[in-house]
Amino acid sequence: MSMLPLFQWIEATSLAMTINNSKYAFALIEFLHLLSLAVIGGAVLVVDARLLGLGFRNQRVSEVAAAARPWLIGSLIGIVVTGALMFSSLAAGKYYYNIGFWWKMYLLAAAIVFTFAVRQPYAMRANAEGGTPKAGLIAIVSTGLYLGVAIFGRAIGFL
Amino acid sequence: MSSIVPYLQVIQDSSLSTAFRESAYVWGIVDGVHVIGLCVFLGMLLFWELRLFNVGVRSASVSETWVRLSPWIMVGFVIMVLSGVTLFCGEPVRYWASIFFRIKAVALVLAGLNAVAFHYGIGRKLVQWDVQPLPKSAHIVGITSITLWIVIVFCGRLIAYNWFAPLY
Repeated sequence: MSMLPLFQWIEATSLAMTINNSKYAFALIEFLHLLSLAVIGGAVLVVDARLLGLGFRNQRVSEVAAAARPWLIGSLIGIVVTGALMFSSLAAGKYYYNIGFWWKMYLLAAAIVFTFAVRQPYAMRANAEGGTPKAGLIAIVSTGLYLGVAIFGRAIGFL
Repeated sequence: MSSIVPYLQVIQDSSLSTAFRESAYVWGIVDGVHVIGLCVFLGMLLFWELRLFNVGVRSASVSETWVRLSPWIMVGFVIMVLSGVTLFCGEPVRYWASIFFRIKAVALVLAGLNAVAFHYGIGRKLVQWDVQPLPKSAHIVGITSITLWIVIVFCGRLIAYNWFAPLY
């Protein structure tokens, strides 16, 4: 079943139309999206670095993960909300036909599932260790997935 | 007035600048690298600023936090500057004429002065803060830094929009 009718409905909502009819709304949402991106960059990297045995290597993995957790969750919410607003304004007209958008969404889903099903449960354990092959693998997959989201996000403009 | 424009025009008319500007993919890659640099720099800077407010990774002392985070902050900064200068050279005349570029440039200089004032001024006592409470001046520097960087990101994003008449 095609999702096109759903995308068309989203683009016709009053919220999407308000964004489309505003000269400034899309740019301001882009700015907030970028700011969330910077925060998520730090929140992901500070923990993945620790898992690789870098960064705060004298601190417990669980302490670094606990310190980053509110920023990780907050910035993810910020990214999804601002991203959804931008998506709504061009859902059927642009994003439905853009292969970069679809791959970005697949990778974002994979990144979120991996973060909360694998990485967070591992890193939040009191006796979690960094610098081991397993911890390093988790860190590389985590950073790699978010980097993939960024790369396909950038590619949306060129596909 | 703005006597720099003829020089910027020379850069813009050079074959390298023209090739870069007209190559959509190379430009897009450099722009993407600029954002990745921002994520590393500002994301890690956030955890440094948080430590100045006794938030974040608290079992690490202030001086240890700087030792652990500064390499990431520096690498992110270098990536941003190199990619940013490259982007600027692709379209210098237009950027120079943008009000958002000018505000961003001023904010960058202020952020630089703020960082220098911190590390060569009050920040020289970094090790003291491992045992003493952080002074109010450290909080002021932290808030100034984050505010300036939000302005820089805001203006950086809006440079793409020609909302206002070019400044020449």
